[in-house]
Amino acid sequence: MNILDRIIIEPFERLYEKLLLFLPNLLTSLLLVIVGILLGIFVKWAFLRLLRAINLDGLSQKFGIQEAFSRSGVREPLSLITSRVMKWLTIITFVIVAMQNLSIPTVEHLIDKIFLYLPNIFIGALVLILGYILSNFLGQAALIAAVNAGIRSAGFIGKSVKFTVFLLSCTMALEQLGIGKDTIIVTFSIVFGGIVFAFAIAFGLGGRDFARDYLERRLKGNEKRDEINHL
Amino acid sequence: MNRKVLEKVNEISEADILVGIPSYNNARTIGHVVRAVQAGFAKYFPDRKTVLVNSDGGSTDGTMEVVHSAGIDDFRSILLSHKTSSFLKIAIPYHGIPGKGSAFRTIFQIADALKVKACAVVDSDLRSITPEWIELLIKPVIVDNFDYVAPLYQRHKYDGTITNSIVYPLTRALYGRRVRQPIGGDFGFSADLARFYLTQNVWETDVARYGIDIWMTTSAIANDFKVCQAYLGAKIHDPKDPGSDLSAMLYQVVGSTFDLMNTYAGAWKDVTGSQPVPTFGFHYDVGLEPVSVNLERMIERFCLGVRELGSVWKDVLPTGLFEFFTDLITSSQEDFAIPDGAWVETVYSFAVAAHKKLLNREHLLRSLTPLYIGRVASFVKETQESSAAEVEEKIESLCRVFEQNKDTLRCNWD
Repeated sequence: MNILDRIIIEPFERLYEKLLLFLPNLLTSLLLVIVGILLGIFVKWAFLRLLRAINLDGLSQKFGIQEAFSRSGVREPLSLITSRVMKWLTIITFVIVAMQNLSIPTVEHLIDKIFLYLPNIFIGALVLILGYILSNFLGQAALIAAVNAGIRSAGFIGKSVKFTVFLLSCTMALEQLGIGKDTIIVTFSIVFGGIVFAFAIAFGLGGRDFARDYLERRLKGNEKRDEINHL
Repeated sequence: MNRKVLEKVNEISEADILVGIPSYNNARTIGHVVRAVQAGFAKYFPDRKTVLVNSDGGSTDGTMEVVHSAGIDDFRSILLSHKTSSFLKIAIPYHGIPGKGSAFRTIFQIADALKVKACAVVDSDLRSITPEWIELLIKPVIVDNFDYVAPLYQRHKYDGTITNSIVYPLTRALYGRRVRQPIGGDFGFSADLARFYLTQNVWETDVARYGIDIWMTTSAIANDFKVCQAYLGAKIHDPKDPGSDLSAMLYQVVGSTFDLMNTYAGAWKDVTGSQPVPTFGFHYDVGLEPVSVNLERMIERFCLGVRELGSVWKDVLPTGLFEFFTDLITSSQEDFAIPDGAWVETVYSFAVAAHKKLLNREHLLRSLTPLYIGRVASFVKETQESSAAEVEEKIESLCRVFEQNKDTLRCNWD
């Protein structure tokens, strides 16, 4: 009887005791998750109304942000995207709090680590998104300016500006995440410096005649100029 | 207005007529303009108290000094008989965004402070201005109670291409009034209209730059001020700085025109067709200086734009129109032509895109430059052998297409 107690009953009793201790935490956690989901839905609704009231979509259209999203295949307006992000941030926060509430050491340790790294991920993602938007905007501005200046390699100039700005933002994002910090900076410096050096050599050697012809045309005024007064 | 100007204005107290000259580094030509204005005052308004205001943008070539020193010493050389009229001069630097619009604002403020009855503004780079211009710009205001006198010039067929291909046809189709030179630069206007301009909150926008002319004309028409035009003869002026950026010019002028479409949507939506406005002045033909055009380079610029800017225009231009442009770059120079219909569709598409904010405004308007150059090239090619009257008929025909297709604009606008 004693053996039966020790082998079968006692573990079950201990399990039962532990379950009694764990169950309130589990229920609280479940409640927290449900509250988080409901609050997330409310936050999404509130943010959507607020952002539409301040005409965020109009502003994003104006500054080319919407266009940058469209180019990457995201067709939804910025107000909807932002409110969705806010909804999921709320839900995730509540899920994390709920998991911590379970008081499981391994989970707690993991969450601590995630919490410490989370700001880096957030800032890195932000840098990357802003970098992408900025690279599209500046690339397009450079392309239009180059076309209007009559530069034949306008497309190349536009793409170069876009690529350089995006590369810079990737470097900054990776640096923020702490991935190969020094390696990335050195790689970027070498690649960027190399590109500039290559251009300098290419123009110096290959474009010597072109530069001479161009300067001659500009200074001597050999090219037939338009005298149209547009206004 | 700064203290010095206020002192000068208080000293003058009141005046009947004011002529303003905006300037920036025009020392070479402004002396002639000042003398023409002075002679105009003496010849046509000898009994009136007249003021000339030079509103300068910080010239470094001594423009303001030229204004101070320029004048007619002996009227007997130009007038058979004359009375000694009161002629006062104010030459001051303006404040605000650098540009013609800010210069005009200062002129309006002085006109308002002096309680003048009529005003006019003339460009400082004019070489063809005569004393008669002052009469023609001022008298319709004083005698016939007009509020706005737009200029009408004899210009070279390739001169004023933004006016001929966009601003005139578009303004005419929108507001139904045939003001031939809506951005001519030399205007007459009443004190009421000057005061109305001053009350508008536009002085931090492109109106403060190249956009001022179209803004003045459109505001006068859309707000039901009495508008007329005066034939001034030839418009010959100093060649523009070759470094001046066409895309910036186009951006400011077309941008202002499109902005005004938003402001006055209620005024243009129900307008169909167009009516002529009363015209003053005696028409005569004048010899004009030839204009050199590099057609090959213009077509090259157009082709470069179509090749590279497809991604920018994809949401702006209808597919059929974009395909037409891409087909055009493969055609030979002999076959190169952008017909009126295609051009009208292009301008209306850009206007709608600007209204709906489909793209960053500056990118959108600057990307119009290659298409505009292509249209100018097509126009030059088409009118190489045409007389001034034939060219005018072609512009008239373009205006009719703008008017006929206005329904498309109305439908796409909302």
